[in-house]
Amino acid sequence: MTLAALVRSLRARELSPREAVSGCLVRIEELDPALNAFISVRAEEALAEAEALERTDARGPLHGVPVGIKDVIDVAGARTTAASAILADNVAARDADAVAALRRAGAVVVGKLNTHEFAFGATTTSPHFGPARNPWDTERICGGSSGGSGAAVAAGLVPGALGTDTGGSIRIPASFCGVTGLRPSTGRVSNRGVVPVAWSFDTVGPIARSAEDCALLLDALAPGAASTRGLAGDAAGLRVGVVGALFEGGIDPDVAAVAREAVRELAGAGAAVEEVEIPLLEEAGAIQQAMMLPEAAAAHLPWLRTRLEDYGADVRTRLLAGLFLPPTTYVTGMRARRVFRAGLAEVLRDVDLLACPQMPVAPPRIGEDTVTIDGVEVPYRLSFIRFNSPWSLAGVPAVSVPCGFVRGLPVGLALVGRPFEEATVLQAAHAFQQVTSWHEQRPLLPPPSGSYSPAERGD
Amino acid sequence: MRSGAPSLELLRGLAAQQGVEPSDEDLEAAAGFLRVLLAQLRDLEALIPPEVEP
Repeated sequence: MTLAALVRSLRARELSPREAVSGCLVRIEELDPALNAFISVRAEEALAEAEALERTDARGPLHGVPVGIKDVIDVAGARTTAASAILADNVAARDADAVAALRRAGAVVVGKLNTHEFAFGATTTSPHFGPARNPWDTERICGGSSGGSGAAVAAGLVPGALGTDTGGSIRIPASFCGVTGLRPSTGRVSNRGVVPVAWSFDTVGPIARSAEDCALLLDALAPGAASTRGLAGDAAGLRVGVVGALFEGGIDPDVAAVAREAVRELAGAGAAVEEVEIPLLEEAGAIQQAMMLPEAAAAHLPWLRTRLEDYGADVRTRLLAGLFLPPTTYVTGMRARRVFRAGLAEVLRDVDLLACPQMPVAPPRIGEDTVTIDGVEVPYRLSFIRFNSPWSLAGVPAVSVPCGFVRGLPVGLALVGRPFEEATVLQAAHAFQQVTSWHEQRPLLPPPSGSYSPAERGD
Repeated sequence: MRSGAPSLELLRGLAAQQGVEPSDEDLEAAAGFLRVLLAQLRDLEALIPPEVEP
């Protein structure tokens, strides 16, 4: 059942908050041992909160909706581990602003979701808490860093989740897990109560099955940013710029072909499509690294001094790299970001949105550090930077929507908008999902024995 | 650092200045990471018009 469908069932009182929450908890108990999407589950607390909702007259827009929260975002009374040894016993005293917003809307937090250690990487294979596994093939990664959020939604453990995105960490797992993930504009959603990666880029956002689901969650996180009322209609009147460079070179041709077909489907939904070039596109990754790495090193400096050996090797290497970059590189990064943003703004004067593949490859196997593209072996970490960093660097909203499969594994299409125009991005994503059914595809998993009937699940 | 990867001694000194004590293995991994990035950043400098402020 999508989050939107669940909201409708709860509003119609066809389902109670307790039934909705207990259904998720049963599914988590049954399936999460194979997926490791959750780091902790608040079963008793969630059921008590759901029962309390049933005793109140107040009915927020997410009344009784179970959600999962990435484990870098504070939930009062629960551990925020960031999938690290350093914060393994860190219990949050209060809710992060984003969690408080969801609770005000009536959502119930069922647990904390696995992440790459300190959200600083894109595999979600923490050496401390184990890898989150992709529901489409449990031998493969979910992407990251919000990998647990992507896996939990894809497997139907929760109808919606929060992730965070610094350089792709919402969009990458959304693509790899075949779900919908929105990175809002930087600054749109409060980061208070979130373990930082790099302050200039960190963004909290939703992962769910559909654009409509993401709009419901974003409307609670940042009222007025988007609403489901704005989703009506097709893509007619939208001008979409296709970032041609990202369909050629550095991408699995099969993935590029799926994304090309998705653009044709978007055009079929009424969008006017044209090819565009983005100035400094190929440099955007290095520009973001120049700023992100020193910011991350600064955020972690107290632990680098006292707990260096407690980091996983990959995260430790990147943090030390940030410590060693000359100070001038940060200033160079700031200056180059200004140039990049100006060039992108020029392009976005002529089109409303950009479209490109979300990732250059299908999800690799757990433990594989390299991917093969056109017969050439490249580091996985480097393969996806040019597809994700440009939009993080610009601070613009970007959504990944499921758009097909390659060798049985999901592929995502990225739709990128102007700053603070999340509503346009979600409108286009919704229009795409009205003429396609990729977002309705489900991995082959055991049927749940929870309280949902098959009809209620929408299966 | 213009010749490629910075030396481990240089990195060890930079770490010590900031109160961090990485192992040789850590320093080698970071140096490898920086080798690629510093080259990219040097190329980037040439693409920014001089009048652009941070």
